[in-house]
Amino acid sequence: MKKIIAIIKSWWQTLRAPSSASLGFILCLGFFGGIIFWGGFNTGMEATNTEEFCSGCHEVIVEEIKETIHYSNRSGVRAICSDCHVPHNWSDKIVRKVQASKELVAWAMGNIDTPEKFYERRRHLADREWDRMKKNNSQECRNCHEFEFMDFSIQGNRSVKMHSTALASGDKTCIDCHKGIAHELPDMTGVSGWH
Amino acid sequence: MKFTRREFVKANAAASAAAVAGVSLPATATNLIASTDQTKIKWDKAPCRFCGTGCSVMVGTQNGKVVATQGDPKSEVNKGLNCIKGYFLSKIMYGKDRLQTPLLRMKDGKYHKNGDFQPVSWDQAFDVMADKFKQSIKEKGPTSVGMFGSGQWTVWEGYAAAKLMKAGFLSNNIDPNARHCMASAVVGFMRAFGIDEPMGCYDDLEAADTFVLWGSNMAEMHPILWSRLTDRRLSHPHVKVHVLSTFKHRSFELADNGMVFTPQSDLAILNYIANYIVQTDAVNWDFVNKHTVFKRGTTDIGYGLRPEHPLQKAAKNPDSGAMSAMTFDEYKAFLSEYTLEKTVELSGVPADKLEALAKAYADPKQKVTSFWTMGFNQHTRGVWANNSIYNIHLLMGKISEPGNSPFSLTGQPSACGTAREVGTFAHRLPADLVVNNPKHRATAEKIWKLPEGTIPPKPGYHAVLQNRMLKDGKLNAYWVMCNNNMQAAPNLNEESLPGYRNPENFIVCSDPYPTVTAQAADLILPTAMWVEKEGAYGNAERRTQFWHQQVSAPGEAKSDLWQLMEFSKRFKVEEVWPAELIAKQPEVKGKTLFDVLYKNGNVDAYSLDEVAEDQLNDESRHFGFYVQKGLFEEYAEFGRGHGHDLAPFDMYHEKHGLRWPVVDGKETLWRYREGHDPYVAKGKGVDFYGKPDGKAFIIATPFEPAAEAPDEEFDLWLSTGRVLEHWHSGTMTRRVPELYRAFPDAVVYMHPKDAEKRKLRRGDEIVVQSRRGELKSRVETRGRNRPPEGLVYMPWFDAKQLTNKLTLDATDPLSKETDFKKCAVKVMKA
Amino acid sequence: MKIKLLATALCALMLSAPSWSEQDEADNNVNNGGVSSLRGNVELDTQQDPGRIKQVQRDRPTMDREYVHQPPLIPHQIRHYKVDMDANKCLSCHSWKNASETGGTRISPTHYETRDGMTLSDVSPRRYFCLQCHVPQADAKPLVENDFKPVESLR
Repeated sequence: MKKIIAIIKSWWQTLRAPSSASLGFILCLGFFGGIIFWGGFNTGMEATNTEEFCSGCHEVIVEEIKETIHYSNRSGVRAICSDCHVPHNWSDKIVRKVQASKELVAWAMGNIDTPEKFYERRRHLADREWDRMKKNNSQECRNCHEFEFMDFSIQGNRSVKMHSTALASGDKTCIDCHKGIAHELPDMTGVSGWH
Repeated sequence: MKFTRREFVKANAAASAAAVAGVSLPATATNLIASTDQTKIKWDKAPCRFCGTGCSVMVGTQNGKVVATQGDPKSEVNKGLNCIKGYFLSKIMYGKDRLQTPLLRMKDGKYHKNGDFQPVSWDQAFDVMADKFKQSIKEKGPTSVGMFGSGQWTVWEGYAAAKLMKAGFLSNNIDPNARHCMASAVVGFMRAFGIDEPMGCYDDLEAADTFVLWGSNMAEMHPILWSRLTDRRLSHPHVKVHVLSTFKHRSFELADNGMVFTPQSDLAILNYIANYIVQTDAVNWDFVNKHTVFKRGTTDIGYGLRPEHPLQKAAKNPDSGAMSAMTFDEYKAFLSEYTLEKTVELSGVPADKLEALAKAYADPKQKVTSFWTMGFNQHTRGVWANNSIYNIHLLMGKISEPGNSPFSLTGQPSACGTAREVGTFAHRLPADLVVNNPKHRATAEKIWKLPEGTIPPKPGYHAVLQNRMLKDGKLNAYWVMCNNNMQAAPNLNEESLPGYRNPENFIVCSDPYPTVTAQAADLILPTAMWVEKEGAYGNAERRTQFWHQQVSAPGEAKSDLWQLMEFSKRFKVEEVWPAELIAKQPEVKGKTLFDVLYKNGNVDAYSLDEVAEDQLNDESRHFGFYVQKGLFEEYAEFGRGHGHDLAPFDMYHEKHGLRWPVVDGKETLWRYREGHDPYVAKGKGVDFYGKPDGKAFIIATPFEPAAEAPDEEFDLWLSTGRVLEHWHSGTMTRRVPELYRAFPDAVVYMHPKDAEKRKLRRGDEIVVQSRRGELKSRVETRGRNRPPEGLVYMPWFDAKQLTNKLTLDATDPLSKETDFKKCAVKVMKA
Repeated sequence: MKIKLLATALCALMLSAPSWSEQDEADNNVNNGGVSSLRGNVELDTQQDPGRIKQVQRDRPTMDREYVHQPPLIPHQIRHYKVDMDANKCLSCHSWKNASETGGTRISPTHYETRDGMTLSDVSPRRYFCLQCHVPQADAKPLVENDFKPVESLR
């Protein structure tokens, strides 16, 4: 035990002692080290944003998006899971990622590791996402679909009707109407606006 | 040459349009009160022209044309509802290219096999046609003439046709297109119960706790029954729906337990369920002991291919339907190999799903109704599949009572009423009688007032065999009526097309519209359809429904009934019957077939006075007696008192259909069950009276592989079928603009990963190729049908994409029904 | 494999092939005599271009009905609209509850009736699967003109 304390002490002293190296060198080291650390962190975090990673637990959903317009459409612009489910702004993203650590527990417990278990929890999972998007005014939709730039003259009648009224006034946000557009819906009993 | 003909057709159409335009229409009303006379529509009932559900519709006519249709609220079947096709019945008769005059292939003013079609009169048409039939019979005997009929014929059309062929031309070469859809069901019924058609009725839909769909996609193919099933499921939460198919489709939207299985493994699943029932001792012993016997079916029976086909040669017992007695213990031992593990392996269905299904059947408290159609029937072991499902219901005693029902659905409006009940098959006679039974022939000859020995004892050529015989030059004068077999029959390139175009043959096609079959024929006869004639259809629940003629047919178009009877006038008995036969009944000498078959004192027994003065009935007015009534009453004699009782003719015009047997004016909902069926004596409980000892057969048959399965080169299963919006070959529905636009052209449904592997994306033009031919289509990777990897699904309604260039002419060896659900293909980018 | 196939094919040809003139005759036999089916005036042994997949019009005005009980056609695309035990996308716009807000056509009162004609307080389960009767329309020219004429008052 004493030995360990001694080792810690000497390490601390080394850290505290002024370095013989030039300040420039140390700054450089810190700078590049920072880049490497940051890069590594971000790469690691981005790796958790790929479809492959998401598929690990949510394979059913990842398959489902493939036939929707957010995956396949005339211009080939497409969204992946994280575009809609992970906030784009950095601090929100970190918050979401930290929350996600809780999902690791769910993963370890095997909460949704069979299609049946997944369908069982589907409504709960969907509710959480709808809630989150409702609270942030459908920010992830708006990252691509900016209200300001919608051209109503080339939208369909049904779209114009809703977008120029409820959406424009802020009465409704995207997710209020556009549920289940990128994958299948859970049991919608009791969801507002649904039968 | 072709130009003049087209000009003719155009001129013809224009003339008829002008005639219609010439009818002066009243000026637009200025107010509603004044307009009631003009807005008045004449309404009358008629069964739907499409599937075997047998919905009733109300048809509205004005100035000799149909102007509206709607669901019949008084019909027990559909209670005012229709599916999208039924709602558009109003338009099916008005495609601009309706055939209005006979067309004959001619060169230099004479018939020529390679000539171009020219308009001719009915007289000219029948002259040439009769000549060809007579020549054939004279040179090669009665087996060289034949007819391919329909489950869309009215009851009397089928009856008149069967009579003309079997008793007039002395040829059993008459088969209906129902062979392609119902034959396996029929043989299944005959083997298990000794009497054809379901014991239950649609009322089972409101009584069952569990529904099992075996390959059936009711949501698209029987939408109104689906609507009743949905009603039951959604309003009674305890009700469960199991759906089995080789790919995911719309019926899975309501499935509590959806299962996608490997093609052909249904045989194993069926035996697994029986095994589960036996192993868990859930057997209803009281029922089994009293009402069933166990039989072992012959195995390794081949695939109904030409005898020289290697698969046919390899079979140990080709075409054998023989059965031998077996004890329960032997049956138990037979089943024991169908364990859950083995069935999971063969079918690819997860164990828990299979178990849930088996439990539903094995639970004595759950009433189970099983439905199937083409999935079981179009199957090289279709008869086995049919019998295996009866096995399960019989083991549990879940049969012949409300909600407990093994239910074979039909695809055509009168597959039951005409094809099966009238017996327009190569081996059948009316009311389940068969040609190879001397007693049965004698019964028919007696009713028909014909000499003994008139009906030939040997069954004729069945559907697929007819095309083979046409190709081989053994069947030479051939009449195709009320169907589009060139688009339906399997293996077009190798069998049907060379058969029809064989220079030795003369092919006649009767149809309201120019079909693919008409294009391959030598003589085309324009035909009246649906409410342009008086008719009767029989649906899948034994319901017989009548309708009156409500409008006149366009131009020179005539009903099938008129064509058959008028054609029979062209034959003197001496020209078609051997002298020995005539000698047995000398009074027929010098008479025509019309006199002998239809002016026989039965068919002409009802005078025109029975037809209301303002009632359209073109045939009766032409022939001078109430033709439909005479034919029906003579036909009904076969079944009355023998478990097939039909009500008196006039009753059907009043009622919205009645389910046979109709005894003392009362219809039968559940057969074989005391209290429901008048044929079951008091105290018997259940009596399968189709069998001499009243006991149904539980028949053991194993899993055997499909005739053709994917391999390295042809690496995909092809399943063909229908879509909701189109019916069969699309002759009617694709001429209704709304239905055409709802599903314009055929596509090939494919799993996205299969598409990816072939570097294909949705909408790409592709070539689909089998060992027999190829076609071009487009890939569809989303939408209503989701095949698993390794299987593609394609509807066959599109005349430009003839799926029967791909399909294999393998049939069930017992029922001779083609397997349109399984063959091997490959798909490449075009 | 291919060589083997070719050899078999050649053998078969030599054994069974008719003389060329007979072959011509047989080929000539496959002709449709100038009659046009839904295939068009095209011989049966030829292969036809399947045409492009026809698009459903995204959004258009409601289409007129030609008789009183004709079910209205769907005037918009329905890609990925789900109707199953979990959800009914159609009713999320067309139910009585939602129609005024969304501007969708209100489903008719008949849709609230049971088989026996009793009016329920919600959509009758027998009418749950909308697509059995209502279908969208692709942008496609009909294959054949249809001469159906509606009654005077609906023309």
